Amino acid sequence: MRRGSGPLVWVGIIAATCLLLFLFKKILWLVVPFLLALIIYYFLQPATHRLVLHGLHRKTAAAITGGGFILLLLLCAALLFPWISSHAVSWQESMARYIEGGSRLLQKTMDGLEAQFAFLERASLSRNVSEQMAAFTETFAQRYLADFVVTLATWLPALLLAPFLAFFFLRDGRRFTRFVANAVPNAFFERTLFLMHEMDRTARAYFQGLISLTILDTVALAIGLWIIGMSAPVLLGLVCAVLAWVPYVGSILGCLLVVLVAATDFPLDPLMAYGAIVVFILVRLLDDFVFMPLTIGRSLRMHPLLTVLMIFVGGAIAGVAGLMLVLPLLGVAMVVGETVGMIVTDPRLQARHAYARRLRNEQAAADLQA
Amino acid sequence: MFLFSKEEDSPRLTQLRALSLFSTLSPRELKTVDGLLHERSFLKDEVIFDQGEEGQALYIIETGSVLICHQGEPVGGKIAELAAGNFFGELALLDNSPRSAQARAAENCAMAVLFRADFLGLLETHAVIASKISLQLARHIGRRLRKTVTGQTE
Repeated sequence: MRRGSGPLVWVGIIAATCLLLFLFKKILWLVVPFLLALIIYYFLQPATHRLVLHGLHRKTAAAITGGGFILLLLLCAALLFPWISSHAVSWQESMARYIEGGSRLLQKTMDGLEAQFAFLERASLSRNVSEQMAAFTETFAQRYLADFVVTLATWLPALLLAPFLAFFFLRDGRRFTRFVANAVPNAFFERTLFLMHEMDRTARAYFQGLISLTILDTVALAIGLWIIGMSAPVLLGLVCAVLAWVPYVGSILGCLLVVLVAATDFPLDPLMAYGAIVVFILVRLLDDFVFMPLTIGRSLRMHPLLTVLMIFVGGAIAGVAGLMLVLPLLGVAMVVGETVGMIVTDPRLQARHAYARRLRNEQAAADLQA
Repeated sequence: MFLFSKEEDSPRLTQLRALSLFSTLSPRELKTVDGLLHERSFLKDEVIFDQGEEGQALYIIETGSVLICHQGEPVGGKIAELAAGNFFGELALLDNSPRSAQARAAENCAMAVLFRADFLGLLETHAVIASKISLQLARHIGRRLRKTVTGQTE
């Protein structure tokens, strides 16, 4: 299919992406499980495909992979719940320990800076920062814990929806495509089929790319952290790789996490924290210049400038959710916009549609005229 | 015993089996193909596709008939008139090349449409079904080539 949309179509694509982000922000309780369901769907799709290749019916294959995934989640929850309950207290202590470790590192860094730069000492930078940190950590639980528990209780049922949605996507996705295609007028039918195929291809490439990127990031970070001697490198790598799903903000949070762990586990060795930062930056560079173009970058085929601008726009419109959603939404809006642009600006298709409508009206009114 | 019983054709499967493209498929294979087909209906004189348009799908005539002609010349430029059971637009399944002629409904007709991406997917997931369809396609194209060489018209 031809490509090359005009500026009007592009303005439409960007405006539609912004509008969708604004609307999605209002129904985030539904959008997030839907997005997670899409990630699970595209994660399970290759396995379902393989089962179909081995001669199973699509519905049976979907039941095996989707049902198997749900069972696995239930099993993990059943096994993890008692373990989490028994370790909750020690985790709380560990968290406090890690925050304290982070504060100590910050304090040391501030002291070092004050020793180097007299104006910082005059401004009592170190004292101000420690006071603010102390106030923050003391009131953290009172301020945010209740909100956190309420938010978790609100979101949990919606998040539990995700695996079930994914199961139905796997089972009935094709029926949905047929249902939508049946509603399209004859003149636009082939283009619409192509559009839906392209949308699926774009979304599949994006989400499968995201999964591959997460695995690559986890492995690279785990190797780096293991080399410098950090504890639990795979877990840290995985958490950082998942956090990186949120552009920019996620990476900063991931870096902070790694530094906190390094500063706490090796309180007498600040070089370990700096080493962790170096590893993190190296992996980010590797991610931006090697992994990303190999996985997600290929799927969306967007200009890097547009990608960066849209990430900022997404963050401004819908916050963290906007940062996460903006690229897949833009990818889908691009495919829809370009194809709709082609249909709307194709006078021949419009003429054929008008002619078909006239024929249907004539047929409907044939006996009335007689 | 149920496991070994022979699958009976439903009216829909009987209808599909009557189409030359699917005549060699088993009931189970027909069910798989049926899940991929889209149903369309066209009124007499309605354009199905234009010459030069990028083809995305193959059309199988279930009822009615279709006129294949040069673009905008349904009377003088007639190439063939296809009855129920035939199919057209098959080159779209093989490549992205533009449609070589215009297709118009010669009378009110119902059609099953096989989208190229679905056919390509079938080649991966159900190679036996896809190869049976491909063989029928090849036979059809061979017949047409023979007719062109001998100067016959459809």
